[in-house]
Amino acid sequence: MSSANATGAKVFKPRFNPAKPAFGLLVFLLYLFLLAPLLIVFVVSFASNQYLSFPPEGFTLKWYEMLPEESTFMEGMKVSLIVAAVVTLIVLALGVPAALALDRFEFKAKAAVQSFFLSPLLIPSIVLALGMVLLFGPLELNNTYAGIIIGHVAITIPFVIRTTLMSLATTDTSCEAAARILGAGSWTVFRRVTLPIIQPGVIAGGVIAFIVSFDEAVISLFVAESGLPTLPVQVLRYVENSADAAVAALSVILILISLAVVVVVERVMGLRKALR
Amino acid sequence: MTESKLSIVDLTKRYAAGLEPAVDRLNMEVEEGHLVALLGPSGCGKTTTLRMVAGLMDPTAGSIVVDGREITHTPVNKRGMGMVFQSYALFPHMNVEQNVAFGLEMRQVSKAEQKARVAAALDMVQLGHLGKRQTKELSGGQQQRIALARALVVEPTLLLLDEPLSNLDAKLRETMRTEIRSIQQRTRATTLFVTHDQDEALDMADRIAVMNGGLIEQFGSPTEVYERPRTHFVANFIGQANFLTGRVGAETGRANLAGESYYKVDVEGLGQFGAIGSSGLAGSTHELVIRPHRLNVSLHPGAADAPLAGTIERVSYTGDALAVAVRVGGQQLQAQMLTSSGDLPRIGDAAYLSWNPEDAYLLPSPAKLERLAS
Amino acid sequence: MTVLEAPAAPERPKAQDEGQLEKATERRNRRTYLALLLPGLLGLLVSFVFPLAYMVRMSFNQGSPDGVIVETFTLDTYIQPLTDPYYWKVTLDTFQMGVVVGILCVIVSYPVALFLARSTSKYRGLLIAIAIAPLLTSAVVRTYGWMVILGTNGLINSSLDGLGLIDTPLELTNNMTGVTIGLVEIFMPYAILAMISGFGRLSPQLEEAAGSLGASKFKVFTKVTLPLCLPGLLTAFLLVFVLSISTFITPRLLGGGSVQVLATEIYDQTTGLLNWPFAAALSVILLVLFGLIIAVYQRLTKKIGG
Repeated sequence: MSSANATGAKVFKPRFNPAKPAFGLLVFLLYLFLLAPLLIVFVVSFASNQYLSFPPEGFTLKWYEMLPEESTFMEGMKVSLIVAAVVTLIVLALGVPAALALDRFEFKAKAAVQSFFLSPLLIPSIVLALGMVLLFGPLELNNTYAGIIIGHVAITIPFVIRTTLMSLATTDTSCEAAARILGAGSWTVFRRVTLPIIQPGVIAGGVIAFIVSFDEAVISLFVAESGLPTLPVQVLRYVENSADAAVAALSVILILISLAVVVVVERVMGLRKALR
Repeated sequence: MTESKLSIVDLTKRYAAGLEPAVDRLNMEVEEGHLVALLGPSGCGKTTTLRMVAGLMDPTAGSIVVDGREITHTPVNKRGMGMVFQSYALFPHMNVEQNVAFGLEMRQVSKAEQKARVAAALDMVQLGHLGKRQTKELSGGQQQRIALARALVVEPTLLLLDEPLSNLDAKLRETMRTEIRSIQQRTRATTLFVTHDQDEALDMADRIAVMNGGLIEQFGSPTEVYERPRTHFVANFIGQANFLTGRVGAETGRANLAGESYYKVDVEGLGQFGAIGSSGLAGSTHELVIRPHRLNVSLHPGAADAPLAGTIERVSYTGDALAVAVRVGGQQLQAQMLTSSGDLPRIGDAAYLSWNPEDAYLLPSPAKLERLAS
Repeated sequence: MTVLEAPAAPERPKAQDEGQLEKATERRNRRTYLALLLPGLLGLLVSFVFPLAYMVRMSFNQGSPDGVIVETFTLDTYIQPLTDPYYWKVTLDTFQMGVVVGILCVIVSYPVALFLARSTSKYRGLLIAIAIAPLLTSAVVRTYGWMVILGTNGLINSSLDGLGLIDTPLELTNNMTGVTIGLVEIFMPYAILAMISGFGRLSPQLEEAAGSLGASKFKVFTKVTLPLCLPGLLTAFLLVFVLSISTFITPRLLGGGSVQVLATEIYDQTTGLLNWPFAAALSVILLVLFGLIIAVYQRLTKKIGG
């Protein structure tokens, strides 16, 4: 609907559109759907029902209190944390130099190499997992830390390379040229100029790698289920075999650990930015 | 005769075999303390030359000599130069002081001395109070000055400026021009300055190297390059120019102590006109260059001998002057008139052009016949 | 202008001296980038290429029910899955699940993605983060959450029963229905992300322009908004599809052993039956299907993007 303003031009007055709040409600409900399983797990972890059922009969912390006693969970936690930490360090050491080479140098096979580094994400993890458990058999790497770590490297490197490349693409290369003219050798330029500038991308890649490794279930299941189960594998076993809510408490811990990693890094990075 | 600070000998850059060279056997001598502008259109090779002097790019052939020592094979970080980039290239994760101190750190200067020299450098660019600031909080002009301080604090053998003013807005550009020039003169830093803006070059430089297609077409002072262009390109690139081609008659007299003579030039279809040029041009065909503001324009035939008659085709008002395009014979000549001079011209009016012979300069190389058409 | 003679001016270089510096720098550069790439390449070789290669090799071996593997080169292992109607059914079920989950996921993700892509509120970043946050958690945890919601005594059944709407609990787990619901939610963040980046060309001005030209809200949506969103929607669908046909955890848990898809078959053959060549053959088949779909996707995006 239009009307004329003082100069005679047509002006649109937005009429109250019932579609707008209805759309907002729809989006809100969809968000609830999206978060539903996580919210439910949270609720159930405090419920005193002996077997998984609704409605919650009472509030309790007993499932959380149980956790430290459950050696399987503690063992799984330990394995997952160690694996994730080592994997993160390894893929940072492998991925950041590779990203540097891909961004700062020109060579014929560049596009192919870049695709190669990103390709593990294109393969179904179950196919990778099978290949790994088969290969690691004769090499006696199954049910070892080394096996799981090697297995996780393939699926985490692409993230590090991608985030580092993104950071590199947005930096001004004349900073590096300026540093060299001022007297810095190649290693100094990398350490004092390039690395600090790409720090956000590198850290983001590291965080993603940690979380992906920590949450990973399929490769860990194939390669180490019987001997060295990670936490997600422990949860998987428990869920298949038992019907009580201890695993809900554990799941909440899992979620909180992932969130904590992200928040801590965000804080540290945020603080850094403020100090700059 | 003083030794040059910088000698460039037959410098060549070819990006791939078979391609036209980006820089083609360039030769240049730069005196100590001079600011030399590398001026030319984009693609002329000026930035490539600067980068080769800095060491950021390898030359295909040729050499670069600084203070008598050949540095062509010296790596970038050992050349001891200073460079200011178009994008300022300040280190974003360091504050102003740390930026300026970086070169000193690389030279392992003591902390105390670093502090003192950084403070002095910042004072020189009048930003002493901004030491602890983060670089992204600064304006463009401030960042540029910090970049300059960072380059100068190491007392570089050469100061290299790569279109440092291109990212600044027009007003700021003018202010920074003066500042950079005064700092350069105070520190007596031998400077190479790449620009595509001829006003900058004319204003700031001791010498201008006018470049085109990988070659230096002329190397001289701003006055030389403006008043005595060696080629059509130089005359056209610096300032505005009118070109007339004609057959040069015999010398009509000595013009000045520089060995130049007066000539009468026969311009096809337009008549005979006086011009000035170097000796020995009689008998050949040359172009002569007349700057628009040296063409006298009158709307009345008046007393000037043999004025060139033409018709006004276009009038542009620029506030302090009128730019007038006059069609004469087969060509259009650009001229200027003051706005206060009584009658304002209109399109279609008759106009009468004349000039002093000193103001028409004959280009030294004979004109090719094809040029007549341009 | 006079040319000053530099005392130490070197002689004019000979033709064969040309390009020496450039070649030296090129050699140095090559050494550098190779050194930078080598660790990563080796890492991927060991962690990615070798396992896959070994698996493909294994698929040509002869397996047997008692777990003994015979080293040979035979295509027999492929003959079974390609001829056995059971495996055809499993493959088709997997495909069907992928299509259904893909379509449903795109439908529920579209409003959210549209909202986020258009939103100018200061909470936009936060809302996007919330939409992506579930990706921080393990698939196991999210699947478990769905088991609790959809189970016999779970949230839905208890609520419906409590409200008196049903007498017997709905069978929402241990079947494809539960798996589908779970997967739709689990893949929503991926779909939303794919759509948001695919909606780049959608600007409110286009919609305003259409509106000011007299189009009704519905027409604006169908004639302007929807066509512009199409590339993003297609990308999201294909992404969710390929994720669905390769997913293992959710079909296993929510399917309770009654849902057979290619991924669960591979697991059963590997761990339960120890028929590794067969599992490997199934995996190769899955890979080939994957590759075909991605090839089709590339072809399609070229058509739409061009």
